[in-house]
Amino acid sequence: MGTGKSPKGSTKLEPRAERSPAPSRDARVVAVTGTSSFIGQNLLGLLDEDPSIDRVVAIDVKAPGAGKKTRFYEVDLTQPAAEARLAEILAAEHARTIVHLAFHSSPSHATAYAHELESVGTMHLLVAARQARVRKLVMGSLTLLYGAHPSNPNFIAEHHPLRAPKHEPFFADKIEAEAELGRFAERSEAIVTVLRTAPILGPTVKSFLTRYLSRRVMMTMMGFDPLLQFVHEIDAIAAFKLAVDRDVPGTFNVCGDGVLPLSTVAKLAGRVAFPIPHPIAEPITSLAWMAQLAPVPSTFLPYLRFLCVADGARARDVMGFRAAHTTREALTDFVGAQRLRDVKLLQET
Amino acid sequence: MMEDKRKPKRTKATAKPRKKRAPRVVKQEADVATELRELEHRLDALIESTPASHAVLPEPELSPSAQASPPPTADPPTVFDTARELLSTDFYLRRWGQAAMRNRSEEVDDFGYDPTYDARARPLFDFLYTRYFRVECRGVSNIPNEGRCMLVANHSGTIPFDGPMLKTAVKREHPGKRDVRWLAEDFVFHFPFVGSFESRIGAVRACQENAERLLRQETLLAVFPEGIKGIGKLYKERYKLQRFGRGGFVRLALRTRTPIVPVAIVGAEETNPMLLRLEAIAKPLGLPYVPITPTFPLLGPLGLVPAPTKWKITFGEPIFMHDGAESETDELLVARLSERVRSAIQELLDTSVRERKSVIFG
Repeated sequence: MGTGKSPKGSTKLEPRAERSPAPSRDARVVAVTGTSSFIGQNLLGLLDEDPSIDRVVAIDVKAPGAGKKTRFYEVDLTQPAAEARLAEILAAEHARTIVHLAFHSSPSHATAYAHELESVGTMHLLVAARQARVRKLVMGSLTLLYGAHPSNPNFIAEHHPLRAPKHEPFFADKIEAEAELGRFAERSEAIVTVLRTAPILGPTVKSFLTRYLSRRVMMTMMGFDPLLQFVHEIDAIAAFKLAVDRDVPGTFNVCGDGVLPLSTVAKLAGRVAFPIPHPIAEPITSLAWMAQLAPVPSTFLPYLRFLCVADGARARDVMGFRAAHTTREALTDFVGAQRLRDVKLLQET
Repeated sequence: MMEDKRKPKRTKATAKPRKKRAPRVVKQEADVATELRELEHRLDALIESTPASHAVLPEPELSPSAQASPPPTADPPTVFDTARELLSTDFYLRRWGQAAMRNRSEEVDDFGYDPTYDARARPLFDFLYTRYFRVECRGVSNIPNEGRCMLVANHSGTIPFDGPMLKTAVKREHPGKRDVRWLAEDFVFHFPFVGSFESRIGAVRACQENAERLLRQETLLAVFPEGIKGIGKLYKERYKLQRFGRGGFVRLALRTRTPIVPVAIVGAEETNPMLLRLEAIAKPLGLPYVPITPTFPLLGPLGLVPAPTKWKITFGEPIFMHDGAESETDELLVARLSERVRSAIQELLDTSVRERKSVIFG
């Protein structure tokens, strides 16, 4: 079922996977954590279809859709015993590659759980990875972690510090997880790849961003029209597959070409942009978030005022990843599906 | 431990029957393929039949309408139709959307420059250029017709109009009609309206990454190395160049092998002569300073309207940076080149100011 969601990406990636030689001598086993996440479940489908991979190990609290080569282990990364259990699983399955995707894609009201999962869960995973002598570790992250500041360069490169608001747990936990991974990479010989994806848009993805864009009236900040950048869901999934197939240590921004002003995004999405002065918007959003009416807390408002656009040059030059869809195409693909959803022609399960 | 060992076994056990099922899956796929083919045939047949019916239909419709009676759809809209349209929210949404996009193109470049928006704003800047500031432009042929080039200019005038004026000058006077992008201070982008307006007409936040990216795209880039110190100059310091930062622009030129054209802008300093600079109240507002001009706090926002001074923009001889990329770390060379550019601009400024008889009439 999870595999059925990515019919487009698979055909595109097949030749690439065949071209790259299988690096390991023995069986190629890939472990994926967080297989209920959007990228997790689609990547699982892709890996399952890849003939060069012998077995896929899915680690989550919820069973993914059945794949031919997929084995599911129910592990809660927030539990203290998780690291011992993970190490056992990795050793028993001879998993040499781990893709760590157990992160929330939208801010959660359960901040304590989110912290346990993202920050502490990553710590558990890294301990287990060290114990099992994993060859490669790929982790998903976000370009949002760079933070939106008026002092940002228009295109942020990977070495730029992560300046997202630290008092927002959604960002703070992910920044912590990245820092933990950085320390892990220094001390171990494993190949560590971090893929920072731009906000993902596409016909099937769901996140705080798609919730924001699917409202009839979109709140914007009066007098501010920042440039936004998206990546198409197929490209984002393909980037992770590429990171599994090729050995590319380092951090990479995964983003589509081109940028769009927020006002044009609203226009293309067929929404009404409703500008509010930013000092007023802050308490309104805070209240709406507390009442569970807003998709994001007020700490996300700077992203509606200032730039947070990443530079995908390194992924292109070093990893060989080139997004097949531009920012605009990612948006229009999302909008096409959203129109059908608006008139109830497309029903989600 | 026991659980872990059992789990893989169980999955293996479940995997076995799936293998047996595999041929059935293949058969199902074949079934699906044949079904799809049948469906395609039916659709093809449908498509072939529909144009024929369409081709038949319009003719009887058209001929009577051509003769006398208008077709029912061409009825003039009644009051009720109009009212219904006006009452529907969709009508207003559509109008809103059209109004929002009228002044802009759907795509902007990497730095947010919008050509349609810029074309809309051009008459305003043309008016300022020809009528208001009556800009006189000299030596514009010193700018190459193509390829990367850096215009290094003095910065002045409390509210900087020199960026847009420089852009208008090159667009109007240069034979290549080149587009100028200029680097603007950070604080511009803090503000509502100002920041997004400036970036739509071609300003880019001043930082090394942005400048380098622009130059690698072979743009004509205007930089004001004085920065905030330049626009925050007091009236008594007019036409005295402030320090040129840390020579970042020279380093950039060396790295990207960009020729530098020194530019002197005379007249901009008197548009809003700053008598005093208040920094204490500026900090909480996010401003670099609060200016006190002869008119500003006195006449309210109207006091910020620039004085109609006569402007003179002089482009100097290009300075070529032939040294290799390794020289960018040479502090001494950077300082020397920075000083060379600075003195070139100061010289141009001094001659222009000396020639000028009146601030307003030139």
